[in-house]
Parts: sequence; structure tokens; C-alpha cells
Amino acid sequence: MTDMKKSLIETVDLKKNFGSLQVLKGINQTIYQGEVVSIIGPSGGGKSTFLRCLNLLETPTSGKVIFEGQELDPKSTDLDTHRQKIGMVFQQFNVFPHLTVLNNITITPMLEKKVSKADAEKEAMELLKQVGLEEKANEYPRKLSGGQKQRLAIVRAMAMHPDVMLFDEPTSALDPEMVKGVLEVIKNLAESGMTCVIVTHEMGFAKEVSDRVLFIDGGVIAEEGTPDEVFNHPKNERTKEFLSQVL
Amino acid sequence: MNKGIIEVWCAYYPIFLKGAIGTLEYAAIAVIFGSIVGTLIAILHLSKNKVIGAIANVYVIVLRGTPLLVQMYIAYLFLPIAFPALNFITKEQWVVISLILNSSAYVSEIIRGGILSVDPGQMEAARSLGMSAKNCMIKIILPQAVKAILPSLAGEYISMIKETSLAGTFMMYELMYTRVLLLNKYLTWQPLFIISGMYLVMTTVLTWLSGLLEKRLAESD
Repeated sequence: MTDMKKSLIETVDLKKNFGSLQVLKGINQTIYQGEVVSIIGPSGGGKSTFLRCLNLLETPTSGKVIFEGQELDPKSTDLDTHRQKIGMVFQQFNVFPHLTVLNNITITPMLEKKVSKADAEKEAMELLKQVGLEEKANEYPRKLSGGQKQRLAIVRAMAMHPDVMLFDEPTSALDPEMVKGVLEVIKNLAESGMTCVIVTHEMGFAKEVSDRVLFIDGGVIAEEGTPDEVFNHPKNERTKEFLSQVL
Repeated sequence: MNKGIIEVWCAYYPIFLKGAIGTLEYAAIAVIFGSIVGTLIAILHLSKNKVIGAIANVYVIVLRGTPLLVQMYIAYLFLPIAFPALNFITKEQWVVISLILNSSAYVSEIIRGGILSVDPGQMEAARSLGMSAKNCMIKIILPQAVKAILPSLAGEYISMIKETSLAGTFMMYELMYTRVLLLNKYLTWQPLFIISGMYLVMTTVLTWLSGLLEKRLAESD
């Protein structure tokens, strides 16, 4: 099924070392347009590093990342333009504390895409409405709960009109009662056809929204398949062991 | 000719006040322009390019590791000879430039600390949105860094007020220079106490103001 689709991000023999530690040991993987891919696996297995290599927040030690047919080059100024199409949401939200909620969203489109203030604010208000934050537009982020900050971070990325969204454990830093609201927003995005790559510990969520699940362990993709294949009929011993611990 | 301190103040207070204003002006010029130069030095210091980083590091080490008075003498006596093309700069202005450069070395270390204190996640978020490195520094990192270091910058201004007393050596009109002016009235020791008192008033008031500022900033977090 997926073979028919257009490749959006492709990694070729992607390796990443931190000092003498090899965290990624050569990953070949393709993310297709419109796909929702969840990445699961034990801590330290390399799943966040893999995700962070997809927009070159981590510079790969060797190998290639190809985005929409073009190899991402850490030294090229085109990288900023490519990154505008690759949204990213972080575990720690990383909203800008010195800017209002509204300006958090409008600053990058205005600076980098020369969108007018009026247009940027209009769109930002629509986005905020979608995630129930329109009343917070003129507040500073310190007045927001964790869940609200993360929803802000998601729409901040959406305002750049990305072709793909990367989520790096988006609910891991949230209080339990905040998790649902954030997952709801991600789910709506996924259902709207946005390509999503999600590193997550929320197995139930991964099962529900994903087209495909990657199990990364020891710097390699140890197993991949549909949620049914990976969660219900895992073949790899490490996958079975991991799932037995988290489910 | 042994007048009391109060007598001397009453007779010559305009001279002292003019000196104090000179002191505040020199200190303000040094810190304001020092902050601009210092910000650039801090950014160079943090550069991934090791050569650029090392040059900035040497700049800071030399300016912080040698006495300001020596730097002022070099600026006053040597720089006009070294740069004859810049002969529109007076010797006194060279001394002011040495104050600015000296201040920039201290400020650059304050700002470098401020930049490093900003959560690296802020840079990652901005770059992942596709913001250029330059915009990210100007719009995201520096505003947060400056807020964190405003009290230290105020401290730098306060110590600069004392440092400028060395400019009097070059007959520049600041508070310490009033001593020289009053020497020919045979007033040897009285002005020193008046001058000390005025430095104390300036530094104490500014320390108190910077305390208020710090409190306000803490509340807005």
C-alpha cells in the first residue's frame, strides 16, 4: 500500500555517534506522504536521536537525510527553508517565554516568510481557536498549563504550513490529566492527512493513530509493521520483551 | 589655609557637581557602547569557528588581565601614533575609547554567561521552525539573555563609575579631576572627602535602583 505513495523523508544508512557511543547504527527508512508513523522503544535506544536527525537538529555522523527529493545539508542556507516545512514539537514544549502566545505563533512567519502582521495574526487566531486557546492570545506562556503550552507549540509549528510534523515524546512532560487534550490535537492533525512521525511512550495512542510502527532498539529498527503486527504479533524477542514491560 | 570640608563644599560645589556629571557621562558612554561591542565579542566568543572564538577569548583575557590605567596610557600616548589616519580623534577621545573597550571585555563575559543560561531548547525550537541563526539570536536568545543579566550589567555600570576616576589623570573633567583643579587653591585633603562622599552617593543610589530592578524582574517571571 505505502509503496504507491510519495516518499517524503528518506534516510540512507543514517549513523550518529556521540563521542565513542554509536547511537544510530545505520538506519534506512522512508516516511511516505500522509503517513502516521509511531516510533516506540526503550529509553536510550536512539528513537529521539533518529527523529532529531530528520530535520538535522542532530547532524548525522554519516549517511543521508533526503527530504522531498533533496538531501539536507547542514552547511547549506537552504536548510532553514527546508526546516520551515518540517514542524517539530518537543517534550519540553520550548515555547518562547518572552513573547505572548500570539507572537509565539506569528514571529517566524513574519520574519522568515514575510507574511504581513495582519495575515499572520489572523491565521494565528484561527489556529488558537482550533486548540481552545484563543482567549490566551495576549497572555505570556508562564500563565499556561503544560498541556496548553504544548498545544501552543503544535499550532506554532502549524503556522509555518509544514509538510510533516515530528513529535518528540510530546506528552512525556505532562501531568496525566493534560495528556488527553494534547493527544486529541495530534490525532486531529493525523486524521486531517498531515504526515506525522511520533516518538511516544503512549502505546494505546500509537496503536490507535498509526499507519505504521517502528520499534527502535540499540540504534537499529528492530521491528516495523502495522500496529496490529507490532503490538499483537511481535516477531522480535526484544519487541516482545519491551511490550511485556510497558503494556 | 586650613578650611573645613563643609566650607570647601559651599564655596566650590558647582565644580564638584560638574565633575560628578562628567563621571556619570563617561561611565554611561563606556557601558552603553561597551555593551554593543561586548555583545559582538560574546557572539564571536561562542562561535563554532575555533579561530574566531580564540581571538575573542584573547581580547577578553588581555583587556581584563591588564590594568585600565595602563590601557588608558596606551590609548592616550600610543594609539594616536599608531593610527595617524584617525587624527580626527582627540587624545581624550582615545581615552574614552579605551574605557569602552575595557568595559566591552567585562560586558562580553556577562552577556556570554547570559546567552549560555538560555535553555538550548529555545534555539532548537526556533531553528526547527526554520528561523535563521541570526534572527534566532536577535529575536529569541538575546532578549532572554539580557533579561537574565540586567542586574549584572547594572553592576558593571556601578563599577565603571569608580573606574572612570582614572580619566582624571588625563585632565578629563570628571569627579576625581576636581582634586587637581582645587590643588591650586591650596586645598589638599578636603576635596578628597567630598569626592569620596559623592562617589558613595552615586554608587549607593545606583545599587539601590538595581536592587529594585532585580525585584521587578523576579516578579515578572
